Amino acid sequence: MLRLVSTVLLRRLAAAIPTLLMLSLIVFVVLRLIPADPLAMMLPPNATPADAAALRHQLGLDRPIPVQFAIWLGNALHGNLGASISFQQPVATLIGTTLPATLELCLAALVLSLFISVPGGVLAYSVVERRAEFPVGLGVVLMQSVPSFLWALLLIALFGVWLPLLPFSGRVGDGIPMPHLSGFLLLDFALDGDWNDWLSAASHLVLPSLALAFGFAPLVIRVLRSSLLDQRNESYVGVARLRGLSERRILWRHMLKNAALPALTMIGVQFGFLLGGALLVEMIFSFPGVGNLMVQAVRNNDLVLIQGIAVVFCALMLIINAVVDTLYVIMNPRLRKAV
Amino acid sequence: MSTTHPNSTPPFVPKPDIETDMPRDSLSAEPAADPRPAATPAASVASAARRKPARLVRRLRSLNLWIGAAIVLGVTACALFAPWLAPHDPLNQDLLHMLTPPAWMAGGDPAFPLGTDSLGRDVLSRLLYGSRVALTVAVIAAFGAGVVGSALAILAGYFGGWVDRTISYLVDLWMSFPPVVLSLVLMVSLGVGIDNVILSIVLVDWTRFCRVVRAEVMVVRQRDYVLAAQLLNLSHLRIMLREIVPAALPLMITLFSLEMGVAITVEALLSFIGLSVPANVTAWGVMIADARVSMHEAPTGLLFPMLAIVVTVLGCNLLGDGLRVALDPRMRGRGE
Repeated sequence: MLRLVSTVLLRRLAAAIPTLLMLSLIVFVVLRLIPADPLAMMLPPNATPADAAALRHQLGLDRPIPVQFAIWLGNALHGNLGASISFQQPVATLIGTTLPATLELCLAALVLSLFISVPGGVLAYSVVERRAEFPVGLGVVLMQSVPSFLWALLLIALFGVWLPLLPFSGRVGDGIPMPHLSGFLLLDFALDGDWNDWLSAASHLVLPSLALAFGFAPLVIRVLRSSLLDQRNESYVGVARLRGLSERRILWRHMLKNAALPALTMIGVQFGFLLGGALLVEMIFSFPGVGNLMVQAVRNNDLVLIQGIAVVFCALMLIINAVVDTLYVIMNPRLRKAV
Repeated sequence: MSTTHPNSTPPFVPKPDIETDMPRDSLSAEPAADPRPAATPAASVASAARRKPARLVRRLRSLNLWIGAAIVLGVTACALFAPWLAPHDPLNQDLLHMLTPPAWMAGGDPAFPLGTDSLGRDVLSRLLYGSRVALTVAVIAAFGAGVVGSALAILAGYFGGWVDRTISYLVDLWMSFPPVVLSLVLMVSLGVGIDNVILSIVLVDWTRFCRVVRAEVMVVRQRDYVLAAQLLNLSHLRIMLREIVPAALPLMITLFSLEMGVAITVEALLSFIGLSVPANVTAWGVMIADARVSMHEAPTGLLFPMLAIVVTVLGCNLLGDGLRVALDPRMRGRGE
């Protein structure tokens, strides 16, 4: 089993490499079409055209685009994504220090959204063709019409300003030193045994991850509902009913397991939605993650940084999808023979 | 050109499932990995026992359509008649009346029904003018994404073979981008402006149409009347325009309505970061960004533009859901 899983995972990851190359090429080319001159930011106001030409040459910007891409790619393979123009630091370092925050946020949001969407999906399914279907359906569509960044503002207004219960800025309270182990604060503080600090980090995580989860949950609810609808005519449901199992048991123990597969695909594909949502949610909560970094990079027209982050986001998407495909094989024995 | 026998049965093609396609993204790039069986027509038989409320439910379902249509029409009217409806110039700063609460609250001024923002601009007027930006972007971007995506989808679905493989590869590639990241990268490269917001939404979201419409075209292509048209030796273009497009049109209209909601959200998001409209244009996202700064003094300022976005997007989603049920014959009697 373990061998099978690792084979599938490796195969999927290998298949993602050409895609990642194409994606980084697209990002590279699109960012070279920019009307503003990226050099304008880097030069002092009294620079001469000769200075500009020298800098352009130094950065390799006077070469043809394919050559530039080849150079960038060569460096990227060595873990060097260039130096950020606005932060004056290597892009890889900037991303490396912020990525754990984003991953922690997204994982927390994913877990929270499962706690919302599994009961929600079962509820949405169980009211089908009953009186409550309309209000429940309307509720799901309403929830879906509120994007994560509005949830973020709403939650801040409710639980940060109106009822000041939870903190809404940064990752930890003032004066708490950041541990430098894995970057995952909940893990690091738990390993250190600093439970007060752990609580502080957790409470800072609640609102941003709830905002993301509220934006994400309705998507999963809808898929879960429609895949439960598809399951209800399967013969195993009839068999279970004939054996006298209770409807509740059939639904929670048997149908939900089978309906989980399409929902899993959805989660994999929609992870990009979560990452995109994290961008604004991090900005709103001043959460020091990659999304926040991206918004700053965009505001400063920091092309090198934008490019690095965009490629890292794409790589994350591809990795998540490979993991989901692998989970799929673990959860669905019917797919194992094909491998 | 496909060489199917007149009698051949259509191959199994999964029903395009809009339900799973609501967000800015898509289902798996590998349909082969989807073990879901096609929905059987027996779906409603199992629930025969609970048939009674079904009619009520169906009526309520179509209520979705009417609520959605009413909201979208209402917002359209606001956008069209904004200059006549708005009590003030949306950019007119009145520094004597900064952060006035709505007229019905203590300290409100009847001259500013929904209050003013931190620069003394009338919130109601700004909302009305903001609906112009939102709707312009929604309609044009959704139309553009629909035309580009559907055209490619029809080419892919009709010709199959390498055309299909190329287009499908492009779709898969595009969908590996987190959509917001792609829009940001495009906006950086295109620059600020409503035209560029529209262009970037079209460039990001055409895949949503392409993937779903392609699956539909692959079903339609096998129908007898398409084969008859092919036997009459009509040109490919004519067959695509006269036989295939009308069959796929209901699906496209439904997707168009859902896409309007997505476009409004994306525009609000971009203008919230300050990447969408120039400073002299009023957009809902800009209002939210302004109100966020003065949130501690005047929380109501945040409420109205948020309500405007949520209600409008809700209208588009309800309209899309309602249209899906109303226009798709397969949905009729499925009670779903």
